[in-house]
Amino acid sequence: MLQVDRVTKQFGKLKALDELTLAVPEGQIFGLLGPNGAGKSTLIRIITGLLPPTSGTITLLGSKDPTDMEIRRQVGYMPQDAALYPGLTIAENVRFFGRIYGVPETVISQRMEEDLELVELTHRKDSVVETLSGGMVRRTMLLTALIHRPRFLILDEPTVGVDPELRLKFWDWLAQLVQRGSSILITTHHISEAVRCAKVVFLREGKRLEEGPPRELMARYGSQDLEEAFVKATSRKGGTP
Amino acid sequence: MIARWVALRIIQEMRRDRRTVAFFVLVPIAIMTLIYYAMLGDETARLGVVTRGLARMYDATLIRSLEETEDLVIVPLDIPDDLTDPAAIEQAIHKALGEGQAEGVLYMDEQLIVDRFAGRRGNLHVYVQGERPTLNAIILGGIAESMDDLANDMGVVIDASCSAFCANSVNIKPMELKKHYVYGSEDYRSVDYFLPVIPPFIIFFLTFIISAITFQRERVRGTLDRLMVAPMGFSQVVLGYIGGFFFFSVLQTVIVVGYVLALLSFPVSWGQIGAILFMALLMMLVALMMGLLASFLAHNEFQAVQFIPLVILPQVFLSDMIWDIRSFPAVLRGISWVLPMTHANQAMRGMILRDMRLWEAWPQILILTGFFLVTLFILMYAGRLHARRRS
Repeated sequence: MLQVDRVTKQFGKLKALDELTLAVPEGQIFGLLGPNGAGKSTLIRIITGLLPPTSGTITLLGSKDPTDMEIRRQVGYMPQDAALYPGLTIAENVRFFGRIYGVPETVISQRMEEDLELVELTHRKDSVVETLSGGMVRRTMLLTALIHRPRFLILDEPTVGVDPELRLKFWDWLAQLVQRGSSILITTHHISEAVRCAKVVFLREGKRLEEGPPRELMARYGSQDLEEAFVKATSRKGGTP
Repeated sequence: MIARWVALRIIQEMRRDRRTVAFFVLVPIAIMTLIYYAMLGDETARLGVVTRGLARMYDATLIRSLEETEDLVIVPLDIPDDLTDPAAIEQAIHKALGEGQAEGVLYMDEQLIVDRFAGRRGNLHVYVQGERPTLNAIILGGIAESMDDLANDMGVVIDASCSAFCANSVNIKPMELKKHYVYGSEDYRSVDYFLPVIPPFIIFFLTFIISAITFQRERVRGTLDRLMVAPMGFSQVVLGYIGGFFFFSVLQTVIVVGYVLALLSFPVSWGQIGAILFMALLMMLVALMMGLLASFLAHNEFQAVQFIPLVILPQVFLSDMIWDIRSFPAVLRGISWVLPMTHANQAMRGMILRDMRLWEAWPQILILTGFFLVTLFILMYAGRLHARRRS
């Protein structure tokens, strides 16, 4: 699905990504974990074609060109910021993103009903975004990223600023999306919650520390919690947690 | 005083924004220069003198006297000396004024001399371009002052109808001044000259600001990134902006043009209204593209706002809107030519004050279309370059 091959990204003297290699398989939730500044968002921006890598290659859905229109059509992207139109309602935002991805109107309406139900926003679909709570905005963001039914969904810190109860629900929804056939790449600095990923990569200062299924990593470091495993991996492989 | 930390923070932040520092230093200098030249330059009216037959004898007296008038410059006209037919001369005078060779022409024909020596007052003809009341006033005032000198030089003509009471007095009859307005009339108000340039200014000002800020908001809130990862090119985003703004701008243009036309002291034909609306909409498209480009070049909303005085003020000073561009130095006159509002103002004044047809404004239409296309090209190129850097 996605192959990141020795990708480096340099901003002046700062190396945001350092020879990073990873592979995201199909039909799974793949977690990119690390603290703020680990390089997660930079990698996401490179994968989506918003930033060029300094070196290395990205192969997404079989293409090395992330700006290829056919590839873009199959990718869904939920950025970290609340990138919505605050003056439009939830339904209007979702419809807009559906339209720019070329989804027919009737299909948009039908999918919107399904998705609104999934994220429990049906009762607020006609509310203007600027009147919504932070959690509702995040859910609307997810809806706009899903409306064209992407094969590959990239979620950059989708649970940031979301209360614990809603975070759990988010992960339930992601599991349902995988069941519907999507593959998901998710970044989070709430490392513990990523235990529901099929596979995770620990990132620190642009480097890959570890990679594997969460349970396996927890066992490898003798930890009860994924966050604890991350801290141990960091101290064992150098760097300050 | 905790406030000092707020002040220090602002200074620290601004110091790192070189564009803002340059804005604070360079923009006042630029604006003060423009104000200086705008205020320094007196309005001067150019007057051509056409004399025929015996009236040529009084050329020197007349011109000498006229040249003493402040703000009046005597200029040669492209009218052949051997042109003697009065109708052809009048036609040539209209042509010279239409071409902008002068703002007024004083025409003294042989009949004047004949009339004077026959004891009649005689007619002195003055043709004024008429669209600029201040220049009309300079011309008519200068001529009025010179008429006495001219009458004296022509010799004393006793009023034949003078009664016994005035038989011993010298009664110099004043000449009759016949005023001919190429455009407009004597009832023309100063405001009528300024009203035609109001629509280009308002439309440019509002469209530029709104498009610059709206596009910047798209970038700041991250929706531009979302559009850029969607299966659509940057050109689609720009076209979408043009389409979206077009609807409201048409509405705004109709309101502004309609209001200005209602304020004029003379009616404008329906055909001309169509031409005026066309020019106003073309100006809106140029403003929209310039706003989007400014927004694209700015890194944040603060920098986008800085483009407003940079783009708007030179156009206010140098587009012949209020101040006569001829009173500015050559460099600023050159800059004036590359400002879209200069050309829009020329076309609007032509259409409203001189009844110019749409096709006659082809140079201005061509230039404004050129502005639109060049800005569109730069924006597309910058967008593509931006996208290529990212991929």
